Amino acid sequence: MLRFLLTRCASYADAEDVLQDTLIAAFRYLHSYDARWRFSTWLYRIAIRNAAKLRGPDLLEVGELRDEENDPLLQCMADSESENLWLNARQLLNDDVFAAMWLRYAEDMSVNDISKALDRSASWTKVNLMRGRRTLESNLSDVPEQSEAYG
Amino acid sequence: MKLMDKLAKRLREDAANINVSVSDELDRRIEASLLAVSPEMAEQRPVTPVKPALFWWASTVTGIAAAVVVIAIMNWRAPGQPVADVPLNIVAAVPAIDLKAEAAVLTNPLQEELDNLESDLKKAEEKVRRDIGL
Repeated sequence: MLRFLLTRCASYADAEDVLQDTLIAAFRYLHSYDARWRFSTWLYRIAIRNAAKLRGPDLLEVGELRDEENDPLLQCMADSESENLWLNARQLLNDDVFAAMWLRYAEDMSVNDISKALDRSASWTKVNLMRGRRTLESNLSDVPEQSEAYG
Repeated sequence: MKLMDKLAKRLREDAANINVSVSDELDRRIEASLLAVSPEMAEQRPVTPVKPALFWWASTVTGIAAAVVVIAIMNWRAPGQPVADVPLNIVAAVPAIDLKAEAAVLTNPLQEELDNLESDLKKAEEKVRRDIGL
């Protein structure tokens, strides 16, 4: 979850604060957890709300707040030799689509769980997952453009 | 390998390649925060007192009894109220009498008719006397 929050917060300290607030809120409101959903879905939902709350009411996109030198995600990838696709995703996708892609591919959540976590409809989730995939696919330099391998 | 599988695999690997660790300081902060708060209990719904079944039955019986009384009072006949006239069929009530009488011939003289009637009456009287044994 801290990895995910690093992609949504302007600094490492913000991500840690959101993580702390999320765990406290989850502990405090444990009685409101609905067992029909995965626990991680509920946890991510709280985290996404807390991260949005930290950004303030202006609802600026994460990219608008980020300082390249202090970008927590870049700092965490400094040691990596290869280019991380999530950096491209963060630049190419908006916050909600990025979150949907993260929950799908980094957390292996189902479409329904993603819909619940993002408070979106299942159809919105499906459509935007498809769009996100196509955007990333076209961005990959080693992937032929004309390929039609989608499900 | 399909393109989508490749993309999904790459996304998973890249997510795992983000080097993140929860520092001891953050761990302590979270632990201290969790110890400081206590989970809220689910809100208790106000419990409405359950009335015994006896109350329900008593109110039902009382209602029915009241309805019966009202209906009885509304239909009670006042003592001074005149009885409605019932038309009687008198003809049907009286038993039929078989009279053997000859039709009067109004063209004959009245005296002759009267003699005939008296003669018939005497014959009938004699017949009755014989029948009753006098």
